[in-house]
Amino acid sequence: MIPCTEFIPAYSELFKYLEARGGREAVERFWEHLADRFLDNLRSAVQEHGLRGCWLYWSHTLSEEAADFTMELDEDAGVFRITMHHCPSMGRLLELDHVEPYHDYCRHCDVLYRRVLEPLGYRYALDLSRCREARCELTVTTGNVAP
Amino acid sequence: MAKEVMRRTAGDNPYLHRDFHGALSAGIEHLHQAYGEQAVREYLWQFARAFYAPLTEALRRRGLVALEEHFRKVYALEGGEVRFTRSDDELRIEVDACPAVAHLRSRGYPVARLFRETSATVNRAICHDTPFAAELLAYDEQTGRSIQRFYRIRP
Repeated sequence: MIPCTEFIPAYSELFKYLEARGGREAVERFWEHLADRFLDNLRSAVQEHGLRGCWLYWSHTLSEEAADFTMELDEDAGVFRITMHHCPSMGRLLELDHVEPYHDYCRHCDVLYRRVLEPLGYRYALDLSRCREARCELTVTTGNVAP
Repeated sequence: MAKEVMRRTAGDNPYLHRDFHGALSAGIEHLHQAYGEQAVREYLWQFARAFYAPLTEALRRRGLVALEEHFRKVYALEGGEVRFTRSDDELRIEVDACPAVAHLRSRGYPVARLFRETSATVNRAICHDTPFAAELLAYDEQTGRSIQRFYRIRP
């Protein structure tokens, strides 16, 4: 059994394998597949609770992942934001000295969540400019507010 | 409505996100559908050879006790009833119910048809190029109950 604590390297290696088999398009197809089949809990939380659904979803997942983050919800302004001070996934990959992370690892967060949230009428932005430091910023806004 | 802010640090929570089992299962099933059975085994083999390289080296240096230590940690973390029997030449791990499969079933996540390969192929890959080999003596698809055997290869 691969324990859930070793999933992230397995995921990163899966992206490498897919890219070797079918190019970047194969990786993208998998991310889309995962968004469509595996993120129903985010989709249903946002459908039921609006922007607060993001808060409910990520407060659960990021706690279980022992992330170092600040999460903000301003429903009046229509803004939800996660400032990731240290991503537990990328952080773990960067700590491994015998395995190189998939070169575009962090972008799965862009594809997966965008694909769930934009069809529901939200705007989604993910700043990955510091992802090699295991830092990023994710912003979701209601349709009329620029992220 | 007031703005809400949540601040958490890594030390506030244990690292144990069991839903990752669901994502792994989805990945294995996707590979199976897109590229066939052999792709699943090839991927898991490549992953295990790369990621578990330090464990393979420990197996070479220290023998089966290194594997026993590894799997004791894994099952202590994930939970489940497990029995270990070890001699210099053989390690047998009897798992009453795989914690990963139990989580998938409890959450209604699909269990990949080849989920067993996360033990069968991964264990073989860990042992590759060492004096030991691995085999999955029994595996129940519904619960993940299994008997995993590691043994010294006779010349």
